[in-house]
Amino acid sequence: MKEIRHEQVGETLYYERMPNGLDVYVLPKPGFQKTYATFATRYGSIDNHFRVDGGEKIKVPDGIAHFLEHKMFEEPQGDVFSQFASQGASVNAYTSFERTVYLFSATEQIDNNIESLLNFVQKPYFTDENVEKEKGIIAQEINMYKDHPDWQAYFGLIDAFYHVHPVHIDIAGTIESINQITKEHLYECYNTFYHPANMLLFIVGAVDPQKTMLLVYDNQAKKKFPKQGKIERFFDPEPPHIKLEKKVTRLPVAMPKCLFGFKETEVGLTGRQLLERECETKLLLELLFGPSSELYQKLYDQKLINDSFSHEYSSHTGYAFSVIGGDTPDPERLLDTVQKELEMWRKQGIQERDFERIRKKKIGSYMRMLNSLEAIANEFTRHHFRDQDLFDIPEVYQNMTLENIHERFEQHCRWSQMAASIVTNDG
Amino acid sequence: MNSAAIERSNVGNIRLHVLPTDRFKTYAVTVHIGRRLSEDHVTPTALIPFVLRRGNSRFPETKTFREHLELLYGAGFGFDVTKRGDYQVVQFRMDMIHEKYVDHPHSLLEETLRFLGDTITRPLLEDGIFRKLYVEAEKNTLEKRIQSLINDKIRYAAERCIEEMCAGEPYRLHPLGRIEEIGRITPASLYEDYRRWLKEAAIDIYVVGSVSMSEVKSLVAEAFQYENNEPRAYEQVEPVQHARKEPKTVIERLDITQGKLNLGLRLPVTYADPDYPAALVYNGILGAYPHSKLFTHVRERASMAYYVSSRLHGHKGILAIQSGIEIANFEKANEIIRQQLEAIKDGQISDQELEKTKKMMCSQLREILDSAYEMTAFDFNNVLAGTDRTVASLIEAIQEVEKDDVQRIAQTVQLDTIYFLRDGEGGHDVERNTP
Repeated sequence: MKEIRHEQVGETLYYERMPNGLDVYVLPKPGFQKTYATFATRYGSIDNHFRVDGGEKIKVPDGIAHFLEHKMFEEPQGDVFSQFASQGASVNAYTSFERTVYLFSATEQIDNNIESLLNFVQKPYFTDENVEKEKGIIAQEINMYKDHPDWQAYFGLIDAFYHVHPVHIDIAGTIESINQITKEHLYECYNTFYHPANMLLFIVGAVDPQKTMLLVYDNQAKKKFPKQGKIERFFDPEPPHIKLEKKVTRLPVAMPKCLFGFKETEVGLTGRQLLERECETKLLLELLFGPSSELYQKLYDQKLINDSFSHEYSSHTGYAFSVIGGDTPDPERLLDTVQKELEMWRKQGIQERDFERIRKKKIGSYMRMLNSLEAIANEFTRHHFRDQDLFDIPEVYQNMTLENIHERFEQHCRWSQMAASIVTNDG
Repeated sequence: MNSAAIERSNVGNIRLHVLPTDRFKTYAVTVHIGRRLSEDHVTPTALIPFVLRRGNSRFPETKTFREHLELLYGAGFGFDVTKRGDYQVVQFRMDMIHEKYVDHPHSLLEETLRFLGDTITRPLLEDGIFRKLYVEAEKNTLEKRIQSLINDKIRYAAERCIEEMCAGEPYRLHPLGRIEEIGRITPASLYEDYRRWLKEAAIDIYVVGSVSMSEVKSLVAEAFQYENNEPRAYEQVEPVQHARKEPKTVIERLDITQGKLNLGLRLPVTYADPDYPAALVYNGILGAYPHSKLFTHVRERASMAYYVSSRLHGHKGILAIQSGIEIANFEKANEIIRQQLEAIKDGQISDQELEKTKKMMCSQLREILDSAYEMTAFDFNNVLAGTDRTVASLIEAIQEVEKDDVQRIAQTVQLDTIYFLRDGEGGHDVERNTP
């Protein structure tokens, strides 16, 4: 077991790789009541075309990673929710573009709950009948999101950015695509992506690292896994330019929603480089669009935006884009004003003092995030799957220069890469 | 370790609640300012925090106000306007990193309380009233915020169900107030409302972090300066029990894909009642968890919904059920939900259901102790209800709840309103059929 001290944040992390390849991290939080654990696989909605060990290329229906996540909760004897409830734990799961995460939170029977988490995720049970039954439930989940203006605005923008990359496909798929899913598909995906060597267990809270590692070790030693073949993922080449300048969706909303952003042209970054770009872009967006920026105040005073105005940056090796915006009475005028103002800022440049202030804000927000066991586990996993370390983030911000930010401004905010998504009542 | 360790004192009419702990990397401060919900005050009271967050006498410009927070290592600052029982409670929160994690030479607690004190008690004034520019801009923001409640259909349906159910009671009011009242508000009238509000409201400040009461007390005395008197208590309100023979049914149409079926029920138990733990267990067995009856029957067995759950409005004596269903399944889903209500009334509660529910509840209660804000929220329930429950005492009470207690609670629960949001044209037109 390796002990990793992070002095600045006052945390110690323990790490061990199990003989079957499973990475296990334990972060003890003395004084906390709860233990929170995530068991995650590098497998999300974008992994729909793949091959194992040079075998046949497989293409699976949209929404299958999410469908599989739902179905993991089914066991031959009773369901998983019940089992965790009888051990006083709340269990849940989520699927994102690039990972599927199973999790629990509990204040008692921690050992049992850790074992239950490992056991249910490592024991698939799919039947024709239980796969059919799930289709009705997921159809309602899809319908729920159809009525959700924020979600529609968000996916509308990704759809405007991407021609072929599967990031533009809704994580849950469509009612048509999930209807094609069979138990054979599910086993195929399960056997490909749920091998321990493709997974990470993170446990944070009131635990003893040594005992916990031993417990996981014993649990894994009892199970047999075939040797994991090399997973190759295929993505059709994505043109660097955007697909649509503007996408409009009709839904009942009180005021139109307008999200805009920039599609990154350079893809293929990994690890520390990808992390640096992510941190730089987030800092840049905060400088330009954050609540203390001149642009924000101007737009707010002109009643073009309100408190819903926000920004985020999503990046991965194969795709990266920013999402900026919120409710606005006049999407066209908002977009016009933003473009004019950004041009001005590009010429004028960013002030050193503003950069330093936002850097402080970013570091402080990072530290505050570490109060949350959930945030630690989920963010650690997200970064780890990209060969990054969550605990490097303060250093990345400390090393950043104003010059980096100006470069980022030039690279990221290109008009030819800008798209907008509008949700409105009007036809 | 639990809320028993909270130290209490007061400065003028401000009650102080301080929890010294080293578990967090932050100082978490919450200011609750509560006043009876009323048609007359609800809208200006909701507007006040919007205006206060634009600037104070020390940082008059919004930009510098926000820059200051950023210089304080991106301190979290926010506010919320909530409805707790028949009270409208405005909360201001600050989440400040402890100085030792950022090598800051001075106490960041002092900065936090000073900032909150300035913002709440030394607002920016021009000619003795609020700045017109801010009041007008925030009136617009509040108006748009109220209008946008319709965007999130799950929440919209939940609010509309309560509004229909409590027509005629203050509880029907949304904590953000009424759109038609906003136009009348002026910088002068709002300033008058603000002064009366600070004078009449109950004010509670919670501080969680590496602090002591004496430190907090002197900082608050310095930072919060206004005309003050004795602390005010929250008065207890009896739960409303209507003798509605048949539930009221409301069907509303909007251009949507998924139907939202919400049920509003009444029960004669509120937070201070000795039966409150039993009501919590009842709600747990019915619909708070994935092992609960609603989730098991409506989702897992009938595949009819993705979400279906129940929630107790603990300070009001209301139980709300919410679900998202295929529109054509309205009758069927309604029937399955009502069967679950009947089943508990008939005592169809297995030992397992009872045990799982109690375990989940106790675990979630213990988890409260891991979050500064959740501990604050839990303890503030006591202030609202005039009780002195701790996490430990509530866990103990839950563990003593038996099947008969749950059945007894179930028999007092009365279905009041069935609200269904469905597809179709008609915007806000409401179809009513109250048999």
